[in-house]
Amino acid sequence: MVPMENYLALSGILFALGVYGVLARRNAILVLMSVELMLNAVSLNFVTFAAYLDPDRILGAIFAVFVITVAAAEVGLALAIVIRLYRVRQTANVDEADILKW
Amino acid sequence: MGAEQAWLLAAVPAGMFIVLALLGRYLPRGGDYLGVLAIGTSFVLFFFVLADYLDFYDLEAGQTAITRVINWSQVGSFDIDFGIYVDQITIVMLAVVTTVALMVNIFSIGYMKDEPRYWWFFALLQLFAASMLTLVMSDNLLLLLISWELVGVCSFLLIGFYWEKRSATEAAKKAFVTTRVGDVGLMTGIILLYREAGTFNIQHILEMAEAGEFNETYLFVALSFIFMGAMGKSAQVPFHVWLPDAMEGPTPVSALIHAATMVVAGVYLVARLLPAYEVADNTLIIITIVGLTTALLSGFIAIVQTDIKKVLAYSTVGQLGFMFVALGSGNTTAAMFHLMTHAFFKALLFLGSGSVIHATHHHQEMTDMGGLWRKMPITGTTFFIGSLALAGLPPLAGFWSKDEILHAADEHWGLWALSLLSFAAIVTAFYTTRLFIRTFMGKPNNPEIYEHTHESNGFMTIPLVVLAVLAVTSGFVIFREVGEAIGFPGGFSEFVFLHEPHHYEIDWTLAATSFVLSFVGIYLGAYIYWGGRLTLSTRAAEFQPRIYEMLRSKFYFDELYQWAINNVVLGFSFVTSWFDRYVVNDTGVDGSAQITGYTGSVLKYIQTGRVPNYAMAIALGVVLLAVAGLAVRG
Repeated sequence: MVPMENYLALSGILFALGVYGVLARRNAILVLMSVELMLNAVSLNFVTFAAYLDPDRILGAIFAVFVITVAAAEVGLALAIVIRLYRVRQTANVDEADILKW
Repeated sequence: MGAEQAWLLAAVPAGMFIVLALLGRYLPRGGDYLGVLAIGTSFVLFFFVLADYLDFYDLEAGQTAITRVINWSQVGSFDIDFGIYVDQITIVMLAVVTTVALMVNIFSIGYMKDEPRYWWFFALLQLFAASMLTLVMSDNLLLLLISWELVGVCSFLLIGFYWEKRSATEAAKKAFVTTRVGDVGLMTGIILLYREAGTFNIQHILEMAEAGEFNETYLFVALSFIFMGAMGKSAQVPFHVWLPDAMEGPTPVSALIHAATMVVAGVYLVARLLPAYEVADNTLIIITIVGLTTALLSGFIAIVQTDIKKVLAYSTVGQLGFMFVALGSGNTTAAMFHLMTHAFFKALLFLGSGSVIHATHHHQEMTDMGGLWRKMPITGTTFFIGSLALAGLPPLAGFWSKDEILHAADEHWGLWALSLLSFAAIVTAFYTTRLFIRTFMGKPNNPEIYEHTHESNGFMTIPLVVLAVLAVTSGFVIFREVGEAIGFPGGFSEFVFLHEPHHYEIDWTLAATSFVLSFVGIYLGAYIYWGGRLTLSTRAAEFQPRIYEMLRSKFYFDELYQWAINNVVLGFSFVTSWFDRYVVNDTGVDGSAQITGYTGSVLKYIQTGRVPNYAMAIALGVVLLAVAGLAVRG
């Protein structure tokens, strides 16, 4: 059986990639994709812990399903915002959307 | 109706106050008949209460007080019961207040006719009667304090009744502020007593005091504070300055509030608490000295006053001093007796002066009067009776009560108090004679005013006659036979007493002395002022102009207070206002706002509005928290 640590390492790598994407990317679509990546890392963590530490119950798996559902809804909303942003400012660059300040 | 329902006496005028205050101005004649009706109802109800009380009264069985208590408010362990307490002192006070209030209400119909705000005047009289009756029936210090302040408010409103006149508003303010100074003492005293006793109930406090459950010094301090309140209300030196100025109010008010009832609230309070005062007996000497000083000083001032109401005002101050001397001598009987007779003859004198003022179209100076007896036979005769009662000539009421006070002072303090008090009595008789002669006898000083003077109508003369009868007869209740004849268990001294009832016997030596004192005063007054001549008195004034000037200036009390206010009070306010302006306001309030604003103006640049910056901040924050968590866990 694959050791638990491998899954956790994969999860960590995914999460770090997501964080990098959120911080480094300027395109709003790509930022959103990075967020999805982070969410998937978390889901993987849930499933891993559920399978290894509490195999009799499937609480972790249920949680993962919930995360996927919520993520789908969230992406729907976020993409709508991005489209509105593009319509208004002719760009999807998050650096240029900076009027909410002092 | 039982005596437990005595609260109705206060409730009826209180209800009528609300009616008159809301509707009075729309009613024909300002609703004055409703006012008289309400007070009249209280007056009639009083006799039911009296009958029931006398039925209940049984000294041997210890049945001397009827109480009725309701729980007014309960907050945690802080439990307040309000109730009425009807005993002998209360009965006397109820008799005085209802009688004088009724007479004054009737008199006011005549006197206040054609005055502005006629309806409001009657409304206030109702409020006053209700508050005063509550005050004398209250079984606890808290309700007493509430009604005490209410009568103070009525006094304020009625002194300032003619608020178009600047002097009236000034006098109202002065009265309120001066009594307020005393009231601070009263409140402090009540709080001190409550703190130690855990109750506001007067009888419980008295029982505890007599059982020695208070520390003696503590009790002394608390009771001295309460006496301060009594001094303020009863215009004792040095708080007497407001009462003469209070004469700015309408004359019926002077009679009701500033002579017969409200100003004796202080006497009533001390009489009520006298068992406790006796325990802390150092207070008694203070009370006596204050009373004596007041009686003497006010007498001297009254000699040189020319306004008839001012003379009467100072004489009220002096007579209240007499009552306090009686209380200081530990004699409730004498104080309450004098309180009662004084209420009747002083109300008579004030209403009489009101009749004169009304008849002369608002002239109050004696220099404008003279010879009015011929023009106003009823007013003149009743005023004559009142003057003799005030001077203390037998067999009028004032003689018997003054005699009791002299007796009490002699018995308790000895010759020095008796001599000083006797001297005050001579002075009283002297200025009373002066007042009467210069107003009613001799030649008219101002023929024009004299020509237009006329006797007042029935609304004004009937109360005068009734009060004159009382001024003659009310002293006789000291005798057992008279008391028994009108249904009381005995004479006044067998009904109202501190510890033991005692049978009144005429002390012939003292009575003779008292008579001689009055006679000397009257004779001197008559000798100097007979026929309204002023040659002798002018010569006396010129003989010692500085003393005369000092008396005219009322011993410079007002100047002293003005100086104190200008220098001490205003100086202190200057410092506090500076502190408020620059420290509290500029530094404290404005300063903190300025610091907030400045910090905000600097820190606002953190908000770049760019999402990646915030994302970076979140990420760094998480890393920082993780590192910190690891560091703490080790």
